Amino acid sequence: MKRYDLIIVGAGPSGLSAGIEAAKKGLRTVVFDENEKPGGQLFKQIHKFFGSKEHRAKVRGYVIGQQLLEEADRAGVEVVLNATVIGLYQDKEVVVKRGDRIEHYKGNAVIIATGAAENMVTFPGWTLPGVIGAGAAQTMMNLHGVLPGKRVLMLGSGNVGLVVSFQLEQCGCEVVALVDAAPRVGGYGVHAAKVARTGVPFYLSHTIVEAEGTDCVTGVTIAEVDSTFHFIPGTEKHFDVDTICLAVGLSPMSQLLKMAGCRMVDDAKKGGQVPVCDPYGRTSLPGVYVAGDVAGIEEASSAMIEGRMAGIAAAEYLGYIGKDEMESELASLDKALDGLRQGMFAPQNRGKQITETEEGIEVSQNLLLHGYVADDELERYPGVTHKSGVHPVIECTQNIPCNPCQDACKKGCISIGAKITSLPIVVEGSECINCGMCVASCSGQAIFLVDEDCGDGTATVTLPYEFLPLPEVGTKGKGLGRDGKAVCDAEVVSVKSMKAFDKTNLLTIRIPKEYAMKARFFKAV
Amino acid sequence: MSERIKEHPILGVQEKGRLVRFTYDGKEVEGYEGEPIAAALKAAGVMVHRYTQKEHSPRGIFCAIGRCTDCVMVVDGVPNVRTCITPLAEGMKVCTQYGVSEKPFEEQ
Repeated sequence: MKRYDLIIVGAGPSGLSAGIEAAKKGLRTVVFDENEKPGGQLFKQIHKFFGSKEHRAKVRGYVIGQQLLEEADRAGVEVVLNATVIGLYQDKEVVVKRGDRIEHYKGNAVIIATGAAENMVTFPGWTLPGVIGAGAAQTMMNLHGVLPGKRVLMLGSGNVGLVVSFQLEQCGCEVVALVDAAPRVGGYGVHAAKVARTGVPFYLSHTIVEAEGTDCVTGVTIAEVDSTFHFIPGTEKHFDVDTICLAVGLSPMSQLLKMAGCRMVDDAKKGGQVPVCDPYGRTSLPGVYVAGDVAGIEEASSAMIEGRMAGIAAAEYLGYIGKDEMESELASLDKALDGLRQGMFAPQNRGKQITETEEGIEVSQNLLLHGYVADDELERYPGVTHKSGVHPVIECTQNIPCNPCQDACKKGCISIGAKITSLPIVVEGSECINCGMCVASCSGQAIFLVDEDCGDGTATVTLPYEFLPLPEVGTKGKGLGRDGKAVCDAEVVSVKSMKAFDKTNLLTIRIPKEYAMKARFFKAV
Repeated sequence: MSERIKEHPILGVQEKGRLVRFTYDGKEVEGYEGEPIAAALKAAGVMVHRYTQKEHSPRGIFCAIGRCTDCVMVVDGVPNVRTCITPLAEGMKVCTQYGVSEKPFEEQ
């Protein structure tokens, strides 16, 4: 039996982060992961992350994955792949299946960072080939470069459903509808808005009646549900699709902890059965820690911080650092984690209906019902202002922990202030130089540079564009409204792609000036 | 292979292994060495991986990360191989799985 100071189960964002911290402090650390490649789900995340600089905001998930792997390598973390941990026993004995072999290891401390598994829902036809998890779609398209389907219906309007819908469109699939039984969009409004403006219709208070097909999916019927989630007869809608994607939540994979005898608790807000643990991941068993989604569903940014916390706590437990060092390091991580757990979507607000922003502004109901802010709701947000010449229009309407926009503008046009969840404001008297950094830096793709009146009856709108083919200057097409419907003729007058934009292209379209505050996407015709 | 993403707006052109041949139910198919068998099959338009023992109902890719076992097939004579996490190798013999056999039910 081989012995390590620290055995970590799971090489995702939290497990790797834990390993890096622990190895830096001198612990002999091994990470086991059942997959062929490390990184967990990070390498499937191609969008820019939210948060602030310390949370690696505006860096795309797969790049964060690469950074973590490099750090782990430098720190001397041993990562063992194709190694499934099948048992966690008394005295921290870890049983690992590698190929056809069973190996036994002993850890002086153990961190479980196994993450979460996707939930599913059942309906007639749900077992047909073509009904897939949203994670499967991400795996196929972003890891293996294979289209998950051509015409897709997405079930689930949480961040996973929204982000994956956008990703499906980015690789050329058509998302015919985004459906959720809940009466309101569950994920970030900015994620919803970027999907809606491409023309995906949202069906809230709807769910799947049936998937059709004999050998694989050929169509789907959805219908509206009432407040008790019963179908309302006569509201059925049919779509021809080859793929139905399920994004209906995640459950912690906490089985190893239960097996080891950790005290467990059922907590719906955390996504299911989770170990009882303190803020640094200490479970009821001395020397056994948890980090990331296994201790409660959140997201990769917080999982990385939790991982570091558990790694530090384990180092102190084994005497590699003193209590004072641990406490000072944990205090700064506490602050970072606290920053992420703020705002309307914070864990403590899960399930609550929020009607006003922290600033006391009414929340856009249209955003919650249809995925986009309605024209008559827009003007009440502080990022939406008017002036002559090019200026930023920031359609960020919910309090989420994210602030790259304020650092992006070197001219100080955009301010969020000390509170990371505050809505961005356009600073009065500031001078926009049309550099586009704010447009490219907004992880929510919610910033536009608008010249409302070019003096010749036209206006220009610069928008973020992450699709192929990239239109060329001179391309004629339609300006689409926030609802994805064509509102006016549009012509591409500028296309900017710079390294600093990190693959977000900036498309400037010329449109009739009365549509300056309406057109937010471009479609070539 | 129209089901493959030629160029991705964020990920660019993905690097793949060597193009190799394998068989799917006796037919010759191409895929990239080292990619999951399921990815190669999906790219070739295959949806049904197996039929269940009791109901004879079709199953295909569901989770794509080796968890649900919906996508298992008979690979080189071995049944219940999770095709979504098993790397493709040249000359592999991949067969639709009927129950736990590569023989269709009427021949079992």
